[in-house]
Amino acid sequence: MMPNTTLESRQEQTSLYQEIEQSVKETGLEVSGVLFISCAGGPSYMETQVRGILESQPGLTYKVWGGEEPGSFFILLPGQTLDAVHFQGLLLKQRLQEIIADFDPRMTLASFPEQGELTQQVLIQMEDSVKHHASGEIHIFSREEVQASRSRILIVEGDATVREFLEIRLQMQGYETAVADNGLSALDLMESWKPDLVLTELNLYGIDGLPYIHHIQQLNVAEAPKIVVLTEQRVEQTISLCFQNGVDDYITKPFSPVELDARIRRCIH
Amino acid sequence: MTVNVVYFSIMAFSFRNIMTIFRRAAYSKFNTLSGSELVPSISLLVPAYNEEVTVIENVKCLMTLNYPTYEVIVINDGSSDDTLGVLRREFGLDPLPNPEMRNSIDCQTINAVYHNPQYPHLYVIDKPNGGKADSLNAGINLSHYPLISSIDADSLLEKDALIRMARMYMENPEETVAIGGDVRIANGCVIENGAVKEVSLPRKMWPMFQAVEYLKAFLGGRIGWSSINGLIIVSGAFGLFRKDYVIAVGGYRGGYPGEDMNIIIKLHRYMLENKLKYRIAFCPEAVCWTQAPDTYRILSNQRKRWGRGNLKNMIENYDMAFNPKYKVMGLLTMPYNIIFEALNPYFKITGLLALIGYTMLDMTHWRVLAVFWLINFLSGYLLSVGALLLEELAFKRFNKISDLARMMFYSAIKFFGYAQLGGLWRIQGHIQYLRNNNSWGTMTRQSWQEKSDTAKSA
Repeated sequence: MMPNTTLESRQEQTSLYQEIEQSVKETGLEVSGVLFISCAGGPSYMETQVRGILESQPGLTYKVWGGEEPGSFFILLPGQTLDAVHFQGLLLKQRLQEIIADFDPRMTLASFPEQGELTQQVLIQMEDSVKHHASGEIHIFSREEVQASRSRILIVEGDATVREFLEIRLQMQGYETAVADNGLSALDLMESWKPDLVLTELNLYGIDGLPYIHHIQQLNVAEAPKIVVLTEQRVEQTISLCFQNGVDDYITKPFSPVELDARIRRCIH
Repeated sequence: MTVNVVYFSIMAFSFRNIMTIFRRAAYSKFNTLSGSELVPSISLLVPAYNEEVTVIENVKCLMTLNYPTYEVIVINDGSSDDTLGVLRREFGLDPLPNPEMRNSIDCQTINAVYHNPQYPHLYVIDKPNGGKADSLNAGINLSHYPLISSIDADSLLEKDALIRMARMYMENPEETVAIGGDVRIANGCVIENGAVKEVSLPRKMWPMFQAVEYLKAFLGGRIGWSSINGLIIVSGAFGLFRKDYVIAVGGYRGGYPGEDMNIIIKLHRYMLENKLKYRIAFCPEAVCWTQAPDTYRILSNQRKRWGRGNLKNMIENYDMAFNPKYKVMGLLTMPYNIIFEALNPYFKITGLLALIGYTMLDMTHWRVLAVFWLINFLSGYLLSVGALLLEELAFKRFNKISDLARMMFYSAIKFFGYAQLGGLWRIQGHIQYLRNNNSWGTMTRQSWQEKSDTAKSA
């Protein structure tokens, strides 16, 4: 049941990100700043406070949405460059701390297209990054992070359950994903969809593991994708042959999802 | 009557075992085995004679099995078509300068061994034509691993078939000398990328009869026989053997069909004569899909060949029958095969003649005849339904009710014509044997791709 519930809440969220993306387009301005603030554990009147602070500045247009967790908001600041958004962030933080003592809001901010293209994945990534940063410093969402969050991962896996699990998990990390259930359609996808990384089982229908790895490297694409093998195959000889053939990482099943995330992140950066 | 008693007791053994098999199929963690170093390595031997249409797809299917370490050895048995050519082109194979062939078993000298380091687990042997048994022997001489598995080039293995068999082997690696797999009819199934995607019954009449027949023979019969260690045949289409014992009995016997039954009889004989503990097992969850002949001519050729091979094997090994030294094999399996399999059609004919004679002489009443016939029919039908029940208990491969209904229907009408034809073919096979006619008969192949297309369009 677990995957279903995550799927549903994710869909609800997706509409939020779509809405933000839509609003950015509607402003018609070249530049737009996005600020994400999380006041987890703060008082419930947070939203009115935030709105009040923004309201008090003449000539500032803004739009606020509630985020996935209670007490967190997306603030869209149309026409603001990164400097200006950063200033707003500092201002917000200072004012909030004046009102509530010992309060430590977490923030991440960015301005587009200064730091890349604004996509739903970037928004998801921004929201997630707040959770990972322990310090109270305002986090400026860097160009690299924007790039990384747009990385495309192709999942090749014969088992439907594992495939769905990986797909949901990687999407939640903000990656763009595509799936294939056999080696041949995977090779086709690699040429047409051009993923940055291929997360693949070795035991596939259609083509044998080692020739398959070899095929990936011979593909008619500008840059061959990174290859992470996730498989049941634990024979040492096969593993070393895979590395010889240029596989970037090799993980055996049963696997730890957290470890998998870490290894994928390392391969992409 | 005796026939039926034997059939029923074998079937009873099958039923006794089916629940264990079901549990094994459902719960055993063969998946964690499929990548393990500890699983024994296997050499797959694929004899190919004029298989240019299907061979590529079959080799591709065999190379993507769920199994840690194995190799595929295709033996081109002097094909007159381009079997070797298509293989070489597809996999970029080059002749090996010094192929390491052991001479453990006599076989014809080979022309060359082809290999490509990019496909490290594929070897192709090219040799002059010498028959299936000789090809297998050549394959054994090249094989690098302790277990060998013979697979017909017109069959597709399920991805898990080999690992399931290996699991059974690992239960008792000391005593297991051979394991047979379950052979099913692929006609009518949808095949994609060398794998059966959708199980369905054949639509044509001849394959349909065979589907019913195979189900009865494999599930109803062989599970039971294997439980008393009296299995006399491991299908040539898919079986696993210990190489050391196959070499010890001198490999496959050439020159005659029925080499699959012959090797098993020889294994029984060798193990019993040397007083070694052994078992020859049947693994019904390891499935191999095969193309059944779908015309009368090809089917009759196949059956005549089987009849001939069976008779040859029985005559060669008649000394085992009724010999207590050979235990179950001598006291049960061999007599059963001689009397109820090889001589079965003659009994039927004499019985029929006797009945006609009785009726002519007015010594019997039509009611007695009807009752007699009905008992015969019902018991036969019950056996078929029993096999179907076994299938549904343990495997549930057929999901459509309509398919089940068709199976039941064909199980019944099998007794009107098809069963009699089977007897006729067997007799014709025996006549061929006596006349020393030893041709293999033609066997035409259809590409799996075409098959699958027709299956989809229907």
